[in-house]
Parts: sequence; C-alpha cells; structure tokens
Amino acid sequence: MDHSSLAGRIFRGVALALVLVFFMFPIVWILLMSFQTNEQILRIPPHILFEPTLANYEALISGQLRTAAGNLEISFMRNLMNSFVLSSAAVLLALLLGVPAAYAFARFKFRLGESIAFTLLSFRFAPPLLVLLPLSLYYQELGLNDTYFGIVWVYQLIALPLILWIVRGYFEDISPDIEHAYRLAGHTWREAFTRIAVPLAGPGIAAAGLLSFIFCWNNFVFALILASADKQPVTVGALAFVTASGIQYGQIAAAIVLSVTPTLLLALYAQRYLVEGLSLGAVKG
Amino acid sequence: MAMLEIRNVDKVYRSRGKPPVHAVRALDMAVTKGEIVGLLGSSGCGKTSTLRMIAGFESVTSGEIALSQRRIDELPPAKRKVAMAFEGYSLYPPLTVRENVAFALKAQQFSRSEISRRVEAIARLIEIEDILDSFPRAISGGQQQRVSLARALVRDADLYLLDEPMGQLEPQLRAVLRGRIKSLLAERGMTAIFVTHDQTEASALADRIAVMEEGVLQQFASEKELKNRPANLFVASFIGEPPMNVLETEVAVGDGGFRLSAGADIVFHIPGDTLSRAARLALEPGKRVRVGIRPQKVAVGTGDIRVRVVSNQWLGDQSHIAGECAGKLLIAVTPNRIAARPGEVIPFALEPRHLHIFGADGTCIRHAEGG
Amino acid sequence: MARLELDSVGKAFGAVHCADGLSLVVEPGEIVAVFGPSGGGKTVLLRMIAGMFEPDDGDILVGGRSIVGAPPEQRGVGMAFQNFALFPHMSAQENIASGLRAKVGSGEVASRVTSISRLLKIEHVLGHMPRELSNGQKQRTALARALIGNPEVLLLDDPLRNVDAKLRYEMRLELPSLLRRSSAAVLYVTQDYREAMAIADRIAVLINGRLVQVGRPEEIYARPASVAVARLFGDPSINLAEVTPQAVQGALCAEIAGTRVLLESDERTPVDHGVCWLGVRPDDLVIARDFGEGAIPARIVAITPMHERAVLLLRFADGTEWLAALPPDAMVGSAEDSVFVRFAPDAALLFDRATGLRIGPQQRRQAA
Repeated sequence: MDHSSLAGRIFRGVALALVLVFFMFPIVWILLMSFQTNEQILRIPPHILFEPTLANYEALISGQLRTAAGNLEISFMRNLMNSFVLSSAAVLLALLLGVPAAYAFARFKFRLGESIAFTLLSFRFAPPLLVLLPLSLYYQELGLNDTYFGIVWVYQLIALPLILWIVRGYFEDISPDIEHAYRLAGHTWREAFTRIAVPLAGPGIAAAGLLSFIFCWNNFVFALILASADKQPVTVGALAFVTASGIQYGQIAAAIVLSVTPTLLLALYAQRYLVEGLSLGAVKG
Repeated sequence: MAMLEIRNVDKVYRSRGKPPVHAVRALDMAVTKGEIVGLLGSSGCGKTSTLRMIAGFESVTSGEIALSQRRIDELPPAKRKVAMAFEGYSLYPPLTVRENVAFALKAQQFSRSEISRRVEAIARLIEIEDILDSFPRAISGGQQQRVSLARALVRDADLYLLDEPMGQLEPQLRAVLRGRIKSLLAERGMTAIFVTHDQTEASALADRIAVMEEGVLQQFASEKELKNRPANLFVASFIGEPPMNVLETEVAVGDGGFRLSAGADIVFHIPGDTLSRAARLALEPGKRVRVGIRPQKVAVGTGDIRVRVVSNQWLGDQSHIAGECAGKLLIAVTPNRIAARPGEVIPFALEPRHLHIFGADGTCIRHAEGG
Repeated sequence: MARLELDSVGKAFGAVHCADGLSLVVEPGEIVAVFGPSGGGKTVLLRMIAGMFEPDDGDILVGGRSIVGAPPEQRGVGMAFQNFALFPHMSAQENIASGLRAKVGSGEVASRVTSISRLLKIEHVLGHMPRELSNGQKQRTALARALIGNPEVLLLDDPLRNVDAKLRYEMRLELPSLLRRSSAAVLYVTQDYREAMAIADRIAVLINGRLVQVGRPEEIYARPASVAVARLFGDPSINLAEVTPQAVQGALCAEIAGTRVLLESDERTPVDHGVCWLGVRPDDLVIARDFGEGAIPARIVAITPMHERAVLLLRFADGTEWLAALPPDAMVGSAEDSVFVRFAPDAALLFDRATGLRIGPQQRRQAA
C-alpha cells in the first residue's frame, strides 16, 4: 500500500529535514567559521549574524599566519599541492596494478587465488601506526624516507585493496559470455580485456578510483612519519595551525573548506558514474 | 451471482520525475462463483497489477472491488479471504515443504489431524508427497512452484489468486497437473483467478479468459468465443497458435457481394447475404479492411492461391507450412504430412467463409462461420 | 566448408559427468539440434566446442583438424547465446561488425553489415544501443554477429529462449533457410522439442551427458530409442502404463487397467519379455461413448484445451491417469463423463521396464 496521505507526506518531509540538518550542521558551521575571525568564533554565545571576512583565506594563500605572537610562515598551498600530487599518483599506480589484478581474480580460478585476494584486503585491517615503525626503519635503509615515491608506495596500502575489491565485483557482474562472444569473433583475450571488460567496468573503476583518492587525501599518519615538511599533504600541514599562542580556528576552518573542496567536487562529478555503475546490471542480460 | 466484482477500477503508478503509468484503465469484470478465470496478456498489459489489487498488495487508484458482496479494496490483504500463489514462490526458507503448506491452516485453527489430512491430500494431487520433509532450498524450481501452488490451494478462501502458476513446471507433468487442478477447483466449487502470459495455459485451465492489453480489457469470454468471435484484431491475432494470418485488402463491390483484394493474386469474394446490415455498411468500396484466417483453416493442396513454400515443418502431430504469395507470408497448419520442399509452388485455399473481417480501427466487422 | 566431428568427448565436473563419450558428426550445411532436459550437458557441449572448457578426453575436429587446446579466437566457431551477450557499450552496427574476423576495409565492413542485417530485418535499428532493442531485435543482432564472419561451425545456445512467443514462431520458420545459407555446420541447442523438430535436419538427444539417440526428427518421434526419449517428445507427453505382454491365440496382448488390448508384433518382439512400459501418444487415443473390443473404460477428470486440441485427463479404474489429445471438432463430452478409450495396435510402443529401451517392431507406422 502506498502511504500518500497528507499527514504522511508532511511527516516524511519533516523527518527528512531533521536528518539533513543533523548531518549538514558541522559542514555549514565550518563554512561559517571560515569567514570569521578567531575572536568572533570564540564569542559566547555564538552569533549567527556576523561581518564576513576573507582574512583567513588570505592568510592561507599568502602563507602568512598572523597570530598574537607575531607572523608565522606556513606552507598551506604547498601542502595542498602535495596532497594533490601524492593522491593522484597513488591512485594512478593502484589502478594500473589493481585493475588487471581484479580482472584476474574475477575471471580465473587459480590456486591460492582467494587467499591472495584476501591477504591484499587484510592490509586494510592492520592499524597503520603498528606498521609504521618498522616501515620507517626500512624506508630509512632504502632511502625512501621523505620521497614522493616512498609515500605513493605506502599509499598503495590504502588504494590497492580498495580498487581490487570494488573493481573485482564489477568484473564479476559482466557476463563472461560477453567476453566469450568477443573472443569467438577472432579477438585475443587482451583485446577482450581492453575493449570489452574495462569499458564495461568503467563506472566501477571510476568509483573505486574516486573512493581511494578520497582515502589517500584524508590520510594523516603515513605522511606525518614518512615525510618532512615540504612533502607533507594538507592533513599534516594543518598541524601548523596549532600555534604557541593558541589554536587558529578561523584558519583551520578555511583550510578545511579549501581541502574538502577538491574531493567534494570530484565526488559530485563522479556521482554520474556511480549511478551508471549501479544501472550496469540492466544491460547485462 | 457474482463472487468477485471489479467495478470501474483504475490503477495509476506515479513516481517522481517520470510520467505516470496508467497500468489498468476502467476495468469492469464480474467473476461468478466456481469460475476459473485467466488474465492473459503480454508483459506490462496490467494483468499482474489487477491481480495484486485484488490481493491487496496494491491500492486501487479509483473504483471498487467486491468479494462475496463485501467491499474489499480498503481492507488489508489478510482480511480479504483470498489465497495467493506467487510467481516467485515466496516459500518460507526455514520451514519444510510440509510446514509451508500447512502454515496458513495452522493460523486458521484447524485440528492437527485435519491439517495433516488436507496436506496429504493436496500433496498427492500435486505430486509433492516425496518432498514433504525437504526444505525449499533443496528442491528444484518446478517443485518449488508446485509447493507454492499447494500452499495456496490447501487453504479455505473465497478466492484463489495464482500468479503464473505453472510456468516453471516440468513439461512432462504440466498437462496432467493442469487437468488435476482444474478438476479439484471444479469439484470444490473454488473460484480462481490466474495470471499468465501463456495462452496454452490460459485455454487449458480457464473457463473464461480476460485478454488485456495496455491496461484495457480487450475481451472477456470463453476460449472458444475468443477464437471464433474475437472482438477486435488484437484479440484475433493474440489468441491462437500460430497467430492468425492477416492480410490488408481493398473493398470493391461486385457479383452480388463484395470483392476484397490483397493484390492481384489474392481476391476474396464475400456474398452479400452472409453479411449483417451493419457489416455491409462498414464495407465501403475503396476502403481498406483487414481479413484474418486461422492457419488451421487454410487448406493445403487445393484452391487458387499459388504460394511458394518458404518452410515446411513437421512437428510430430502437425505440419506447419509457410508459403509466400505476392510478398505476403501465409501460414497453414494441417494434421497431415505434406510433401512440399521449400521453393516449390503449391496451392492454398482461403475460403471466404473462414475469413474474419476487421475495420480500420481493428473492430470486427464479420466473424468467420463456425469459428 | 568443414565438417564438425566430436570423437568420444568426455567432460566431468567433480563427480558429475556432463559429457560421456559423445560422438557426433555434423556435415557442413547441416543443422543438428541438441535437445534434452536441462542439466543434460547441452550447454557444456557447446562451450567445449567454443573453447570455454576443454574436454577431459576425446577430440573435437573441424575440417579434420583438432581444435582442442586452441584459443577460442582461432577455432573458426561462431556462437549465439541464450542471453544474447551483446556488447552493451556498442551500437547494433558495431556489435555486428565486431564479428568480422577478417581484417577488411571499412567500406567492405559496412556493406557486409548492411547485407546481413537486411537478411535478418534489423536494418532500421543498426544505430541503436542494445538496451534500446527489443529481445527479438537483440537476438537477431546476436545472430547477425555470429553469422557475419562466415564461421565453419555455428553454435546456437537456445537462441529463442528469451524471445516472446510470436517472434519465436516467426524465427522458427525463418531460421532453417537462414542457417543453410551460411553452409556452416550448425549445432542448435534447445529445450523445446517442437523447435528442435521444426529447425533441425537431425536431432541429437542428450540425457545425463550421453547421446541417447541421434536421428531425423520424424524418426525419433515415431521410434524413440527409450522411454526417456519418448517422454521428451510430444506435448502432452506420452502416456505410460506398466504391462506384461502375453501371447493370446497368436496375438500379442497386454492388460491395461483390467482391459486386454491388442499390440502389434513381429518376429523381433519377444513374447515373454516380462514387465514393460507401454507408451501411447495422447493424439493416438480414440475416445468413444460405447464399449468396443479392447476399449478401456475411463472417466474424464478434466478437459484442458491446448494447442488447438482438446486435451482430456482420463482416469482408469485402477487410478492410472492418461491424457488424450483430440481434434477440436471431435466428440469431447464433459468432465465426469464415462467413456471408452482405444488405440490402434501399431500406436503402442513397448519399452523394457528395467533399461527403458524400446523393444518390438522396428517399423512403426509413420504418424498420420
């Protein structure tokens, strides 16, 4: 039975609004904070109405953090750039390695196949801090400490399992008959992989890439330990706002807004693919 | 007296961002007690929506449904006194077949011996005796469908609703089970409505068949009537296997009647006295009408229509011969074997008395004699 | 063109034998239907020929050359799938063109796609994506894709399964001439005996991984090798009764539900065979109101018209249920009526009770 009575519809609207407010509040509040000075933020009770200022953004972009104790140099924009380079490179590498691997796990039954796939997933189980200590020793030995490559490599712990497991599911959803049909028409399995399997799993690959990008972007501890200031991403860079003279809430808020924006835009853009990915089932048959 | 009455029922599905779907339009139907009715149509014709509205899983958008003189369209499914067998079987996985079949009986407070007597009886009828103690996941699709049927038929209800009841049954069992179920329903005077897309099943089981298309009830009549007196071209070409041969013809007056010609090679002469007054008026000279003839009525080896054989297929009990004449494909079905190879030219006879004639809007102008 | 040969092909998955010593030759231009109940190994057989599985033993030859072990793309095999298996991200045109094995110029590709799609009547949908096609159009596109490369062997895996009844009937009429035009050796898998009879030159009946009978359609229908084959052909399927045939005054007789009926016999029919299955097709039964010699008394349980015939469910005195299929204008009566059932002696088939194999006269009269 459909619940289409007026009272029902009103109730549903109100309930949805409440849930929306609950989830959106922190984000909206941070957006508001980013346009306020530290004094305005720390006022009690807080005011909804205030005179917006761009000072926080200015400080971030110019790299000059003005605090009560004087000017501080920060490299927020460089951190942002680092985040971008590291996450992109990590996802790219993970896709290059993970997509063919996912295909292999999806299509071929081989000895220890399931165990290998599970081992790769289990990398996600280990608490990163536990891994880090031995890893940093190895990295020092190998000369990978404080290199972009080193961080991109360690990010594979985050990105690769994610891509492997998501994309594998998408490959499994493609009827093997579709690939068989292509091969019977005289194409090798490599052609079937690149022209049939990959395009059909495209939405899934995009979704997996996006998710792992976000996870890499949000990572904190790996870069904190394994990289020095000039290679650190924005998550670590944000520590600079905790200064001797207090916490710079306004700038933190502005930094959050700036660092969330790329991933948010990416997610909005990729929503299309996610929806497409879900409807792939409709064309399978 | 009508057991079930559907009065002017409409069903409109509305979903955001999509145009509303008018699944059932102004449906009027009365089913008498003890009758078996088949809702027949292709997918999306509104037959399943109709069944679900009767069962109470869908609300009616407008109109009324009454069962045994009480209005039921506002009642929840459990209070409607209907039993239903679902297309997807919907067996309870943690219960054995026996418990599944007995489930509704327990709720109806029958004594234990009565329940087991009834379960045994229906199990014997529907041939699930040997799997009574199995669990649903351990039995085949065809067996699951039989259990689902048994679970519905074992109950006491005013109305039995069966959604595609036999689609998955093993072919060797299907014909026998159809007969047994039909006899069970008749013996107990049970009223049943079943949905199917398979006209063989509809004609085998139903006393009357409701043919639906695009949400509209096209015709509600016995199988014989649907075949012999189809209300319109849709019913005529939908009912019957293989489908009716339909030719577009042009009307001319001549020889004390009408000449309907589908090209130079196929001309039918319809004597005026075999037509009703209305039919004579409808056949205006120069107008285009369609004529239909059942493949079973096409005589092979005689007649004046020369066809080139496209295929000649013997199916063990009948021959299907497709012949081409002036770009039109005609199909004939005979119980005899015909020795004609593809490419050969043989005569077909399409006797005027076997022709159904349909107007431009598809309504029937004249039915064939005796079907 | 090349013939397809299966030479005692075997394949097992665990303990399940999907193919057990299958030997079959399909000549170029010949259509052989592989017919049998689901789970009988039909699809596995096709997939071994296509190269998706390899046989455990035996050999598969195309034009005398073994293709076992060769990758699918080098086998010269075309295939149409039950679920169509169209490439969802390519238009119908691109789907069909992808089936062209040989590297030819784009003009040549276009003209071949046009001619095959004209043949299959899908010219008007060439620009559509698969999701925009009806099931019938999808199957025609898939057939065009399989046919365009002129394969030496064409495998059709129940291609009409997911097509609606009307289109299936049309395709059934068209397919034989269409397939013969390609002069490939065609294996056609189906679960519908009528489709098999309509389309095939020969039918190979596959039950539990074994080829139980291979022959022309009418041959199999009239002289099924075993009771299992007999039950697969015919709708409604053949009526069976357990009998012990005996010679009475020089004629072979059997007793069904207390009535003695006459059977056909020749020198090949052992008189003292013991317990047998007696099978009579529903359309060979004659129903009469009055008693006659060898007529079995029965009650009409229900009348279920089908396939333009009246099908009667009959119950004999001992509870045996038989079905009779009568022409629509024959005497029918109504449910609960008492009638008498007869059949001609040569309409009865005898099968050994233990093995299921048919016994008795080789020459059964040709039906009707």
